[in-house]
Amino acid sequence: MATTSATRAPLVPPDARTRLTRRRRTGAGRISPTFYWMVIPAVVLFFVLHTVPVLTGMFFSMTNYAGYGSWDFTWFDNYVNLFKDDQVIKAYLFTFGFALVATVAVNVISLAVALGLNAKIKFQTGMRGIFFIPNILSILIVGYVFNYLFSNSLPEIAERLGITALSSSILANPDLAWVGIVILAVWQAAAFNIIIYLAGLQTIPGEVYEAASLDGAGPVRKFSSITFPLIAAFFTINMVLSLKNFLQVFDHIVALTDGGPGTSTQSVSLLIYRGGFQGGEYAYQTANAVIFLLVIVAISLFQLRVLQRRESSPS
Amino acid sequence: MHQDNPQPRRRRRRLTKGAATISLAALMMAAVAGCSTDSDQVTLNFFQFKPEAVADFDRLIAGFEAENPGITVVQNHQPEADTALRTLLVKDKVPDVMTLNANGTFGELTEAGIFADMSANPALATVADASIKIVTDLGQFGDEISGVPFALAASSIIYNKTIFAEHDVEVPQTWDELIAAADTFQAAGITAFYGTLKEQWPVMPAFNNLGAALLPENFFDDLRAEGTDVDADSAVSFSADYREAAEKITKLFSYNQKGAASRDYNAGNKAFADGEAAMYLQGTFAIAPILANNPDLDLGTFPYPASNDPAENVLVTGVDVVLAAGRDTPHRAEVDKFIAYLMRPEHVAAYGEAQSTFSPLVDAEPSTNPYLAGLNDFVAQGRITGYIDHQIPASIPLQPLAQQLVLDGDTDAFLTDLDNEWRKVAARSTKR
Repeated sequence: MATTSATRAPLVPPDARTRLTRRRRTGAGRISPTFYWMVIPAVVLFFVLHTVPVLTGMFFSMTNYAGYGSWDFTWFDNYVNLFKDDQVIKAYLFTFGFALVATVAVNVISLAVALGLNAKIKFQTGMRGIFFIPNILSILIVGYVFNYLFSNSLPEIAERLGITALSSSILANPDLAWVGIVILAVWQAAAFNIIIYLAGLQTIPGEVYEAASLDGAGPVRKFSSITFPLIAAFFTINMVLSLKNFLQVFDHIVALTDGGPGTSTQSVSLLIYRGGFQGGEYAYQTANAVIFLLVIVAISLFQLRVLQRRESSPS
Repeated sequence: MHQDNPQPRRRRRRLTKGAATISLAALMMAAVAGCSTDSDQVTLNFFQFKPEAVADFDRLIAGFEAENPGITVVQNHQPEADTALRTLLVKDKVPDVMTLNANGTFGELTEAGIFADMSANPALATVADASIKIVTDLGQFGDEISGVPFALAASSIIYNKTIFAEHDVEVPQTWDELIAAADTFQAAGITAFYGTLKEQWPVMPAFNNLGAALLPENFFDDLRAEGTDVDADSAVSFSADYREAAEKITKLFSYNQKGAASRDYNAGNKAFADGEAAMYLQGTFAIAPILANNPDLDLGTFPYPASNDPAENVLVTGVDVVLAAGRDTPHRAEVDKFIAYLMRPEHVAAYGEAQSTFSPLVDAEPSTNPYLAGLNDFVAQGRITGYIDHQIPASIPLQPLAQQLVLDGDTDAFLTDLDNEWRKVAARSTKR
């Protein structure tokens, strides 16, 4: 009973089929309950486990709730205070700077690696597997390994080579600690982006390259006029996803610097966690989280719109 | 195909019924998980904040369970205990019985009425009033007493007696002597103070000790009264009153070994145990892990000589471990039994021996722990004071700021930041 519509559809006479589509378009048609069963449990779970907590959080962001005990409404006081808090503003600036650098770096690097892995090189499959490994490792665990490398191995090597600039841990330097975080973030995120780019590159038929060669296009021209425009959709996905992920950076920082030295690498997520749970300002940092949610949604929509317009217009 | 109309509606009804069944099942599962008590066996959920004391409490629990066959105590411990506890509170899952550090968070939770009243607990009668006062000073719910002090810790300078003897350095009694000693070690190529600045909190012992000795009396009461007006020009402020202490902190940390910024607490304990430095700016709680690395190390302790008048030196002490119970625990009688068991003099003494803490009991013998010998006089004479960071709201990022201070030595920025943060937090919390 559940699979009826899929198997029966081809047997329906042509005129009935047009009727079916028409009715489906007006929304009154009969659609197999299977589709509802596929969607509804997920919607219910999503609503109960995600949307309800988000709405609860939004509610409490207008109170002075500490996470326990009694509370009163303070309406928009938390939001007003957020804009007066230089710690919050500093955290936003750090997060945006970090996300921009990391997004650009990860996309450039993974596109380059993907081009290499898509070429007919030796051990192609093995190499693809190796490049995917960072994606299946936990960021925290990799982070502690990198922490050890940055704190102990790198200074040791630099000292042997006589590079004084690197002879102390970069994580201990307030001006350089962010570089360490970018390196870890890019190393880890590249794996996933490479996979997406590889998938994109495989959708390009070989004939277009042949045609381009006949027209005398060199490798650079082939990339800019054929490869890149044809994987533009994948570029959009990667840009949006990586920017969004990097804006929410948390694990990397916990594993490497814990927001330090001082507060120099405190991201918005880390500030929310620290102020909200350790600092006991649950409602205040929930307000911060609401603002951050709106910011991320706005940026993602803006990015999608710009990149998709670029995608559709011939370059 | 089928043109009959009622069918879709029936389907829809079946759908909603399905969803209802699912949520009902979820509810029932939650209910079952909530009351998993067996008929006669009582299980106490014991939240234990001190990772280095897990084995000690396991021993105590084993003894307790042998005496009380009907009660099982499950010890839960996790890093970042304060955060973990707050998370449990948000979920309304207050543990039955807890060990906690009597710090600012404890005071805050007490005022919110999270903990049960202990005033009637017979164990409390055996505890010295001074220790109880340290707990109640942090915050009270009505006139209740929300915790039973179990162990006192002191904050002092830990020193390597062997290195001190080799260089003929006496235990410093004044600030100038301390700096002279540090210069002597530095000139001899020995690290004077081992620094562990990869983490943020190891600056806190120095912050507390120098501040406790050098801040004017009632500083924090005055600062709270000042509230949203705190800045460099107000009657009391960090800028005006904490300056000397901040400068002395930077001075002490300038004697750190090279690369201190990439060493953490565990590495520091190991290095100090290996005799890599003459002094270590850590609380007495660091003694146990240091000795675990090298049981033969000849170490001693002395209070911070914060000024040049030895009579002004004070010992910063706090209730390192306080026993508390959840207000709504269904097993109050069993919890009281467990607390009474832990508070027996022999158990408090054994714990103090193992963790290098002082006993809070009224008729406690002076600590026979050789490592604490330098501090006993101060405890006996009552020249003790509390941790000042317990007076600073947790929402002020004190530890990162203090770490920044010792890394870049910018006293002005540190003091201005503290004043700013105090003012902002005061503005946010006056509406409560």
